[in-house]
Amino acid sequence: MSVTESATAPAEPAVRRLTTARAMVEGIAQEMERDASVVVLGEDVAKYGGIFSSTAGLLDKFGPQRVIDTPISETAFIGLGIGAAVEGMRPVVELMFVDFFGVCMDQIYNHMAKIHFESGGNVRVPMVLMTATGGGYSDAEQHSQCLWGTFAHLPGMKVVVPSNPADAKGLMISAIRDDNPVVYMFHKGIMGLPWMAKNARSIAPVPPEPYETPIGKASIAREGSDATVVTVSLSVHHALDVADQMSAEHGVELEVIDLRSLVPLDREAVLASVAKTGRLLVVDEDYQSFGLSGEIAATVAETDPGMLRAPVRRVAVPDVPIPYARSLETAVLPTRERIMTAARELVRA
Amino acid sequence: MTDVRFPQLSQEQPDAEGVLATWFVADGDQVASGQLLGEVMVEKVSGEVLAPATGRVRLLVAEDQTARQGELIARVE
Repeated sequence: MSVTESATAPAEPAVRRLTTARAMVEGIAQEMERDASVVVLGEDVAKYGGIFSSTAGLLDKFGPQRVIDTPISETAFIGLGIGAAVEGMRPVVELMFVDFFGVCMDQIYNHMAKIHFESGGNVRVPMVLMTATGGGYSDAEQHSQCLWGTFAHLPGMKVVVPSNPADAKGLMISAIRDDNPVVYMFHKGIMGLPWMAKNARSIAPVPPEPYETPIGKASIAREGSDATVVTVSLSVHHALDVADQMSAEHGVELEVIDLRSLVPLDREAVLASVAKTGRLLVVDEDYQSFGLSGEIAATVAETDPGMLRAPVRRVAVPDVPIPYARSLETAVLPTRERIMTAARELVRA
Repeated sequence: MTDVRFPQLSQEQPDAEGVLATWFVADGDQVASGQLLGEVMVEKVSGEVLAPATGRVRLLVAEDQTARQGELIARVE
């Protein structure tokens, strides 16, 4: 929404707010304007604008040559994206739900992620694979998973997971400009879509000009001295809510670390915070075992377990599929209530 | 002074009620003609509210409040 018509137009409001979805689209659009090799493809990304509005308006702006609706074959169109990237384009390919990776994982982890290694570094695959993650709206087992731990586990891909509009735009621009394949995972609950669960933190100020948010750098979403909460994506919003409540009710100050990227992982940010607070809670909407929460705990244990004044706590999805029934789904997700209970136990408040 | 009305999203039901989902600007902000002011929703269809003129915006309907299509929701002064 830049004002460009004339000098008589008033300055934009000091703070321009956008939803996360609109911030992502703005990032893609600005890169498409700057670089003719950037194209967008996937199911329903053109006419429909992406089922979670991640590509809304791009077809009108850039036309069907650069914004392409594909048939329902994830293997085919992700392979198409890889081929285009190898030949020098910068495709942004949308996998509608991350849960659908099951039908196209060979293209992703054996080709997109490995061509650079297989070619001895001679062939680059500068593509973005963006995909919707997460639950909380009764979409059940095959449409509610996060699975970022799965992609972060497999070498060869960068993995970014924004939590707010400003980072969503900056990480999108960084992902498109990066010469490596980047998996860009957006939680449906942070998009600011009126028909999904709306939350206040998914509509926020976004700078209008293009800018990069560095991949591999965590941010301190809230400073605190009593315990560290390491988390990502929608759980950042919940953790911040809990931190505000604990501050008001118990005088306990939680530090909330928003990882923003899982690969590369900003271990230094985690270690610096835990060295300060001596207490660590990891909140992850992915499955608990063999994943992000264990990796964070291991990072501290391998470096200096002596910095911990209490055992590490984890709030994650127990190792079961995400249930359809709202009551059961709520029971497995890392809700504010579960985070609050764990945080209070951690600091004995 | 220019009226801003709730956009017509449902043609079949011209007086259908919707929700003022999001204001991207605050009451009293300076806005430019064509700037995105807000987002509305009827059933599960969402639509944009753009500024019809340049000036100071006055918001007349709060976020999450219901309004009928065509209803006055803001003014640009």
